[in-house]
Amino acid sequence: MIGNDIVDLALAKKESNWKRKGFLDKIFTEKEQIMISKAENQELMVWNLWSRKEAAYKIYNRETQIRAYIPLQLECFNLEIIDGFYFGKVVIKNCIYFTKTAVKSQFINTIAVVNSQDFDTIKILKNLENIQKYNGIPSYIENDKLATKPISISHHGRFKQIISI
Amino acid sequence: MNKQEIIEKLKNIVKPYIKNQDAFDKLTESTDFINDLQINSANLVDVILDIEEEFDIEIDNQSMERMLDVKSAIDIIETKLSEK
Repeated sequence: MIGNDIVDLALAKKESNWKRKGFLDKIFTEKEQIMISKAENQELMVWNLWSRKEAAYKIYNRETQIRAYIPLQLECFNLEIIDGFYFGKVVIKNCIYFTKTAVKSQFINTIAVVNSQDFDTIKILKNLENIQKYNGIPSYIENDKLATKPISISHHGRFKQIISI
Repeated sequence: MNKQEIIEKLKNIVKPYIKNQDAFDKLTESTDFINDLQINSANLVDVILDIEEEFDIEIDNQSMERMLDVKSAIDIIETKLSEK
């Protein structure tokens, strides 16, 4: 299973006021709020953590079929920065998902996987060709058959990303 | 406050965040904030904070988890108002 999320930073700035009273408390745990307050660029950290939660939620939602607004239950933990990517973990109940986040000047992008070695086999698809949705979940169709290849699509503002594994 | 009054207030609250005007115009209790109105998931926090301010209630984390459609929002608002 995979999940992805992309945040158009210019659009996020326009759409959301993360400094609004109560905003951070509703979606970030105490530990995450400390990460934000200590960050050199707090706004980037807000969307960095948010995109991790969103990408991880996509897997959780598909695995459990539970649909809920649960940003506080999806807690982000940092591992390390390698080659400019933020590698981390998102934990919810007894599920652990691994995340890889790219922070660029115009956007933030997270890919979440169940096994960390899956990062090596992620493919970026150029378009929605051969992709069909079943019960709201996109899958890649190969040779007219429903393959088990999971797809995840994220679109925000100027940016769109389709990934497969 | 009756249900119709709650729905009217709720419509005013969600209006700035919707991306699908057609679904908004046809809003019913089964309208989904994300799938139908296409409210950005980060803006759902704003909807929740706006509801808290407008109705002078506190939406606890457990209630927030269900806050995905008009029907759940009405249920939560009615419950919180009755507890006041």
